[in-house]
Formats: sequence, structure tokens, C-alpha cells
Amino acid sequence: MNIKIGFEVHQQIATRRKMYCNCPTNYQDVPPNTNVCPICTGMPGAKPLPPNQRAVEAAVEIALMLGCRVYTNQTIYIQRKHYDYPDLPSGYQRTSLPLAGGGSLLGVRIREIHLEEDPGQYDPLGGNVDYNRSGIPLVEIVTEPDMKSPEEARNFLRALVRVLEYTGKVRPEAGGAMRADVNISLEGGGRVEVKNVNSIKGAYRALRYEVIRQREKLKRGLSVERETRAFLESQMVTVPMRVKETEEDYRYIPDPDIFPLILDEGWVEKIRERMAEPPHLRESRLISEYKITRAAAEVIVSERELADLYEAVAREVDPKLVAIWFRTRLKKVLNYMKLRAADIKFTPAQLAGLLRMVRDRQLTPEQGELVLRELAKHPAEPEKIIARLGLFPIKREELLPIIARAIEENQKAVEDYRSGKEEAINFLTGKVLQLTGRRADPREITRLLIEKIGKK
Amino acid sequence: MGERLREIERSAEEIIQTFLKSTENLPEMKETYYSLEAYNVVRPDGEPSPEEERRKFRERFLSIMPRSDEKGNLRVEVATWLKER
Amino acid sequence: MAEGTLAKLARIRGGELSAAENVASALERIQELDRRINSFIELNPNALAEAEAVDRKIKRGERVGKLAGLTIGVKSNINVAGLRATCASRTLQNYVSPYDAEVIKRIRAEDGIIIGMNNMDEFACGSSGETSAFGPTDNPAAPGHIPGGSSSGGAAAIAARLCDLCLGTDTGGSIRNPASHCGIVGLKPTYGLVPRQGLIDLGMSLDQIGPLSADVAGTALLLETIAGRSDNECIMLNVDRVNYSELLREKSLKGMRIGISEKFSELTDPAIMKVIDGQIEKLRDLGAEIVEVDLPNLERGLSAYYLIVSVEFFSGTRKFDGRKYGRRIEDVCGEEVLRRILRGRYISQKEYRGKFYQRALQVRTLVRRELLAAFERVDVIVGPTVPKLPHRLGTKITPMEMYAYDYLTVPANLAGICAGVVNAGRVNGIPVGLQVQGRVLGEPEVLRVMQALEAAG
Repeated sequence: MNIKIGFEVHQQIATRRKMYCNCPTNYQDVPPNTNVCPICTGMPGAKPLPPNQRAVEAAVEIALMLGCRVYTNQTIYIQRKHYDYPDLPSGYQRTSLPLAGGGSLLGVRIREIHLEEDPGQYDPLGGNVDYNRSGIPLVEIVTEPDMKSPEEARNFLRALVRVLEYTGKVRPEAGGAMRADVNISLEGGGRVEVKNVNSIKGAYRALRYEVIRQREKLKRGLSVERETRAFLESQMVTVPMRVKETEEDYRYIPDPDIFPLILDEGWVEKIRERMAEPPHLRESRLISEYKITRAAAEVIVSERELADLYEAVAREVDPKLVAIWFRTRLKKVLNYMKLRAADIKFTPAQLAGLLRMVRDRQLTPEQGELVLRELAKHPAEPEKIIARLGLFPIKREELLPIIARAIEENQKAVEDYRSGKEEAINFLTGKVLQLTGRRADPREITRLLIEKIGKK
Repeated sequence: MGERLREIERSAEEIIQTFLKSTENLPEMKETYYSLEAYNVVRPDGEPSPEEERRKFRERFLSIMPRSDEKGNLRVEVATWLKER
Repeated sequence: MAEGTLAKLARIRGGELSAAENVASALERIQELDRRINSFIELNPNALAEAEAVDRKIKRGERVGKLAGLTIGVKSNINVAGLRATCASRTLQNYVSPYDAEVIKRIRAEDGIIIGMNNMDEFACGSSGETSAFGPTDNPAAPGHIPGGSSSGGAAAIAARLCDLCLGTDTGGSIRNPASHCGIVGLKPTYGLVPRQGLIDLGMSLDQIGPLSADVAGTALLLETIAGRSDNECIMLNVDRVNYSELLREKSLKGMRIGISEKFSELTDPAIMKVIDGQIEKLRDLGAEIVEVDLPNLERGLSAYYLIVSVEFFSGTRKFDGRKYGRRIEDVCGEEVLRRILRGRYISQKEYRGKFYQRALQVRTLVRRELLAAFERVDVIVGPTVPKLPHRLGTKITPMEMYAYDYLTVPANLAGICAGVVNAGRVNGIPVGLQVQGRVLGEPEVLRVMQALEAAG
């Protein structure tokens, strides 16, 4: 059954001041109605300040990252979009005409990008409004309905979040900085819009619910009307919204209190030069330039700082080896320590030094991982860490007696191995590893064990 | 009441009719949205407004709210589309 | 002959008259006369204290501002912190302003004393002074007649000498119309010259705050206090403050090219034109060159204006939903306010935008083009302010008849140019004002012509 899914994503831009006034933007840290002024609370007579420049730049950068064409040398009005809702202090929302369009990400077309301001926070159950959030700059990203399944939609959102974070100019995803209106239609049914979903997980669940709900209706011969629904996160269902909340002729007019924008080509080019390489493009480049696998590249570009680190280290040590380490052990260490790549304090040179030692067999890979964990906790030169941990690699002369001892102490395992139980060798290897204080390479141990046991 | 409204609507339309008549033979031309022509007037991001200024405003803002709670939220209606569930 | 603004200012500065005395006598006069005139909605309880502070500064020999100790009435659609900006409407009848408009900050910085909030037509939607929810205002210069609107209270207060200066607002003539009817001086500045932060909207692309006073010197003084670049809003001319009072030292009109148009006679009551023509002769005698200019599309401006202002007013009133302050406007407002909201709501619909709103904006282009072309040939354009004499208070007239007062004033708003009014004489005892229109930022020339006529008067 043909499914069409599209998004209207609203993402908060990271600025210190609001879009049309100088109030601070840390709305989650302060008591209700603290970061407010006559402008963002819609007091009678209040006029907007000129739009926040950083917000405009961020929107253009995001558009470029998504491969859009920026609409230069055109009059871009900031419009008033009128509707009645408790969280909208002036009874209209200021929203720009599109700044850019015609991009794509993961094969999903980006129809347009424009600038908006966040309304206040309205708790519909409690009947409370807090205007701290009112006026925070938003970029709105509208896609074509090119996604064909909830899974594809989820992947798209993840990729989109990654692109947004690459700019370094958006507020982190958590806590409602990103919200999406989700559109879905099934073949034979009307388009349903689920408004204001505020997590990727929520979007996925809402979509899956809708697919089932709509499919059932169509199966029973009922029609799926075009409508707007709300997603109740706690119950994981969508419910219809009353028409009055959603019917609208927004009566758009250019806001007479704000001068329009005309984006200059040269200025846009400067932004393009300055901006970070978009993640999907960087992924392709890493694969072709460093000859690494897609799996590794995907992990590496998952965070911009991680990719930066990779390329710095790959300059000094074999890129393929570095890639393997990033995909496996480094990712593991970061996850285990709940660190983001941006939080890493050790230098590329330090990591390169460590990997060089592993490459030169001065350390076993397992030892390398231990050093890496320590490096992440307390950055220092790898040699110092190795000394501190007492991780000198064991010499062959030291190893042989230990192997002999392990064989002696674990006769049963030896018998098992001789009688065909392959796993027994792993057990023995483990024992030797323990006895060496993990200073030997397990592969080497196994090889020697097999040699020795075989001899007897 | 409905009668009054209808009368006001009707009288509101009169000048629209005058407008249509007076512009019948006028050629199309560019619209003037703004009395002043200027573009790209933007404001740099930076230090937010001083806390003191906002504290003063907040006091006054809260005092003119029809209803508020202890935390400073504005109290408004509960969403009717939820009420019905 | 009452004392001029500058003379009084000199006396206050010189210590001859204290600011406190000035305020006290204003309050006394208001107490005595305003019940009948109804030009004030609310008085500033701190006025005396503020005046005493100014007096202390003067005594200590400290620098005091340009407006030191002068009493200033403020139209009720301008936010003055602590006072009610009611817009003469039940919608905001208890709305206590939580902030000062930018112009109020500038007045305070120059030691002007806000004496109170003036009455007006409700939400500035009117040209008569009869639509206030707090009762109509009388015309002290022609008792029993309308004072004009929408800055009715300010003009009446000046005419009755209840205060020294007033702030009005002008969207389609709302300063000039009452200035004419009340026989006083008023000026609508060039659009974008005076900051609108804190002005409650009627038509955002048309509104300007401007002075009302008994003499041209007072208008110049108040204008230079409030005009000039502001970082506190977006739509502003990027110009420095100008000292208009200083420029008024130049009194001669020799060589000035003054435009007149026969379009004015076509649209105006002959009795009014007679008075205006008399003044134009005076200008000729003073050495100005009188030039005919063509304004063939002038009267088209009226209906275009009402369409534009209705759309913008509809937009600007969406915030009056009764949730944060006041009441929901549609529930409690008067007829003309509702008329404009409904009209604006109707014509801003998606399917009608091209036909009405955008078309009206095209007419604006036309009117603007014509006026700006005229200014290539002349420095100012003079003529009548209103096409007919003010009616008696309470006369039943239709909305269209009410709108007709605005024919001669809306073009300046549509074009964004400046225009001032000075008394030209009387017809049957009713004041007639002469309008002087100037180009963008042409206030100096406009004021100079107004000053010359005032002196010759």
C-alpha cells in the first residue's frame, strides 16, 4: 500500500537573544514569565526590534547544508500569520517567506526553509501560559511527502538532526528544541496531519499508529478524511483536534513593522565557505578519500567533532586502522563513558601516538583500549598512561612459562581441547590472559597454547 | 444584536464599493507596502537585556494579568478539544 | 493674548515661574473646565511631585531639559507607565501601561511633565471626537461643535489652555483635523521620523505621533524632543536629531516655492477656500512664489486609505483577546471600531487580497508618486485641511459622511510625507486651519511657512 510521509520540522536556533527582542533565550532555566518584555508578550503598542542577524545566518547555513538553493536578490517579507491561540501573544506569528528551497537529504526533497518565531508555552490541560519561550528564533524545514514508511521517516529525521547539529547553530534536540508536524496519507485516503510531535521516537510511534489506524479504516471501506490530529505521547495514540483549532485563512500580510530581507549572493557564498562540511557529503568523501568502509564512515560522521578528530589522526596513522578503531573501540569507550565527541579532551596527537604503538605491536589492541579509556578520563601522553597502568607488553620469554603453568593447572581443559572441544582453548587463553595481567595478545597466546598442547 | 452586526457589516462595505468604482479604469502598478524603503535591517546577536529591566516589567505584567498562578504563569482557558475527551 | 510656549519656558528656567506652579494651575484649570470639555480621561497623580523635582534641579543650577516644567497631555493610545492607555475604549479601560513609549522616555529625559491622558476617538477610529467610550469632547474654540479627531482631547486641551503641549497621533489626519477645527497648531511628522514603540496601532504603515500646541514654537520644540533615530524598533528613518527651533530663526520666505492645487477647491466648501485663499495672498506678499501643481488623483486616496487602514487595524487588534489584559475587543468596542475590524477581516481573506488590499496599495503608489512629483517643483504645498466645517456635536451622520472629512489629509499619510496645520481664520466663528504639506524630512520648510503665517495672522 502506497504511503506518503512528509514533515514540517521546527528547530530552535541557538542565539543569546530572541528573534525580535533582546530577552534571553534560556527559557527552561527560569521561572515562568521571567525572560519577557513588552514585545514578546504582545503588550499593546509594542513594536519588534530588527530581526536577529545570527538567526538569519543560521537559517541560510542550514539551507546550504541541505543542498538548497538560497533565494538571493529577491524581496523576502516577514509576514504576519494570524490565528487565535493562547500561546500566541499578538494573535499572529511572524514568519518569513521561504529563504531557500529545492534541496534534498537521503533522497527526500526539501521544499522550503523559512524563519519563524516560537510561540509561548501553553499547557492545554492546566490552562497556563508561559511566555519565556515566546519569540525564540525557529527555522522551519518543509519536506515533500517523499518518505514511504515510518522507518524511512525515522532515518530521515535522524539524518536531519545530524545535519542541524553539524552547523553548531541549533539548540540541542532534547526538550522540545525540535518539533515536527507529521503528514501522512495512504493510497485512497486523505492527508492526515499530526501536529507538534517533539521527538524522533514520538514521530515514529505516531506514524506507526497512523498507518495502522488508516489502514484499518480503509480496509473496512470507510474513508480517511483530511484532518489534523494531535499526538498524545503518554498514551501513544493520535486523537482528532477540533476543527476550530485548525481551520484557517491566516490572512497573511507583510509585517508593516519589519523591513524585508534581500539576501545577497556574495554574503551567501561567504556563509558557504565558512560552514562545516555537511555530514552526508563528508561521509562520501571519507569513503573515497581514505578508502574506508561505509559502516566506519557512518560512525565517524555521526558527530562533527568525531569526524574532525578522525581526519586529524588519519593524517598521522594508517586511515584504515584509525577507522576500525573509531568504529569499534573508540565508539565503545565514548558510549560507555557517556561522552560526546565534543566533550573529548585528549588531542589528536595523543590518540595518534597510541594507535602507532598498537600498529607497531608495542601494545595489544586490548591494552590499547584500556589506555584509550584512561585517555578519555584523564588526557595525557600515551606513554605516561602505559607506565601508570603498568602495561608493558609481555616478552615471549616471560610468556612461555605462564603458558606452561596454565596448561599444568587446567588439565581438564587441555583434555577437552584434545578431545575436540574447540571452546576449551578460549578458556585456556583467558586464564593465561589473567595470569599475564592482560599484557599479552590473546591471538599470540592461543597460537602458543595450541603449539604447546599439540606437542604433548 | 444580529441586526446591529448586519448593519455594521453593510455600512462597512460601502467604502469598498466606492473603492472599486474609483479604481475601475486604473492600470495595474506596483504595490507600496511600506512608507519607507529599506532592506536587511537586522540586529546582531549578543548580550541579552539586563535582568533589572525585566524584573520591573515582570512585576507590572503580572499585576495586570486577569488571572495568574503563584509561579507567574498566565491563567487562560483549558483546551476545549481536550475537555471533550 | 496668552503667553507663548518659549516665553513660559524662559520664565520657568529663570525661576520666575516654578514648574510646580505651572502644574498646579493646569490642574486647577482642568478641574474647573474639563468637566464640560472632557479632554482628559485620567490625570497623572505624580505630576506635582515630578514638577517639584524639576524645580529642585533648577534651584541647584543643574542643567534642565528642553521641556523643563511644561505640562504635556498624552493621547490615550500611547503607553505611559503607571497610567491607563485606554484608547478611549472599554477594551482597555483598566489597562495600566507596564512600560513607557519611546516618545515618553524622550519627553521625561527633557523634563517635560506628563499631566494626563487625553480623550480621543476610540482606538483612533474617528474624525470627530464623538466615539470615545468615556464621552464626547467639546470644541472650546467653537462650543457645541465637534473638536475633530481622533486626537480630540489633545486639541481641545490646547485650545482651552489646559496644558502647554499635547502628543497626538495622525494616521489619516487625526492631528491635523482637530488642530484645524480647534484653531490650534499641529503637525504630522514624516513617516519614520518619530519612534512608534509604545504607540497602540491603528495603521502601522501610516501612524505617526506628533505635536499639538498653541503656537508653532511649541510644535517645533516638542517635535525635536521626540524625533530622530531610535535603536529600539525596526521601521525608522536613520536620521540624527534636528533642532527645529534653531532652524526657525530663519523667518524669511523669500524664494520659497509654494504649491497650490485647484483640486482643493474642487473638493472643499467655498467658505473655507475663501479663508485659505486669503492666507495664500499673505504668503505671496511675504515673497514666496506661488506655483500651481497637479494632483489629479488626490481624492482616490480616501477609499484606498480606508481599505489599507482596515486591514492593518484588523491585524493590530488580534492581540486584544482578553487573555493577558483588558477585554476581547469585539465584545465591547464601539461601532466604528467594529466596522473597521469586520472590513479588515473581510478584505484580507486570501481570495480577496489581490482585489482589495493589494489594489489599494497600488493606489497608494499612485498618490505617492503624484505628491512626490509635485515636490520636484515646489518646497511645500498649502491648502485647506478639511473639506467642510465641523458639524454640531451629536449630529447624526453616516460613516461615509464622516470619512469625507479626511479627503485632504489622508494623502500625506499614504505618501509618508510631513504636514502641519496652523489657524487661518474663521467661518461663522468656527476655526479653519491651513494645511502645509512638505516633502519627506521637509519639516523645517513646513514649520517656517507655518511660523510666517502665524506671525502675519
